[in-house]
Amino acid sequence: MTLFNRGFSSKFKRISLWAGITVVVVGSVVLMAYIATKPANLTAASLVNPNVTHEWFTGPENAKITLVEYSDFQCPACGAYYPLIKQISEEYKSNVKFVYRHFPLRRIHKNTDITANASEAAGVQGKFWEMHSMIFEHQQDWAEKSNAEEIMIGYAKTLSLDPVRFKNDLNSQEVKDIVEADYQSGIKSQVDSTPTFFLNGQKIQNPKSLEEFKSIIDQAIAKNS
Amino acid sequence: MIKPLQKIPKWIPFLFLLFSFAGFLDATYLASKHYLGSPVTCSFLKGCEEVTSSQYAVVFGVSIAVFGALYYLLLLILAIIYFDTKNIRVLTTAGYITLLGFISSMFLVYLQVFVIRALCLYCMMSAMISTILFILGFFVIHISRQLNKE
Repeated sequence: MTLFNRGFSSKFKRISLWAGITVVVVGSVVLMAYIATKPANLTAASLVNPNVTHEWFTGPENAKITLVEYSDFQCPACGAYYPLIKQISEEYKSNVKFVYRHFPLRRIHKNTDITANASEAAGVQGKFWEMHSMIFEHQQDWAEKSNAEEIMIGYAKTLSLDPVRFKNDLNSQEVKDIVEADYQSGIKSQVDSTPTFFLNGQKIQNPKSLEEFKSIIDQAIAKNS
Repeated sequence: MIKPLQKIPKWIPFLFLLFSFAGFLDATYLASKHYLGSPVTCSFLKGCEEVTSSQYAVVFGVSIAVFGALYYLLLLILAIIYFDTKNIRVLTTAGYITLLGFISSMFLVYLQVFVIRALCLYCMMSAMISTILFILGFFVIHISRQLNKE
């Protein structure tokens, strides 16, 4: 009887030990998942308009809903958002103004400036959005290359831009100033990462999916109608 | 002459357990962030996102953090088995396994410093933990060899 008891008790101890450990392990996984998904504290940052004569946007100029994106062409996250934004600006083209602003993270992305300048240089010839798409769609092809400028000139040729003019504009002070003005406005609006979105001047938490993005915009439309 | 140890001092498996658990928490956090967290952004302030969104963060389609979490969980379980059975071979096995984690961590630190050029705090913490575990593992193996000689 004692033997049985002892055997039973050690077996019981062992079962409780492993049960306890399983609980701790599962509990930690749940806890970590909770911490990881807890939304970050949003500072109620509001948008400061850049001191520029023009800005690149799609949709109606005086739309009730304006979505501003601060973006960096070399940022993988911006590249991941590109198809979402493309679809959104297409679907809501009648009632949402979508603005693209440069926020080049120069310290960590070596080709971010050259690509921002390239989009503006294409803009001089009226093809900002075409170049914008080209750059994002081929992000992998130029991101780490040392001949990004040549690649951009290649894109300009593909888009039937005047390559000589494009090359000049690429390094012009005017184009650099446009990019810098966008960047400075981002700093003033407390942008610290890309992409950062402002919906009607209010910073929003980056949506996790196209559906979430659409529902945020739909809510803003409902509120403003 | 220093008297050889008669058995593995208790603090070694205890620390082993503690650090495996810390590593497990750290890697689980990174894995959760990878699969459940809000989408990554690029930032010059938050190196983590730069690192965990890089192409090196995923192996065979699975986040490296998942491998890390499983690695620490394995060490954790081995440490507990040792506490349960007092079988020294369990601990020496764990000691040998730490070499794997140490080498992987060194490679990941190399990638962060020289290739991605961004440091992720949680990844560096994991590298530190696996280094400590490797040192503990080294002690375990060293002591168990001494014990075997006797």
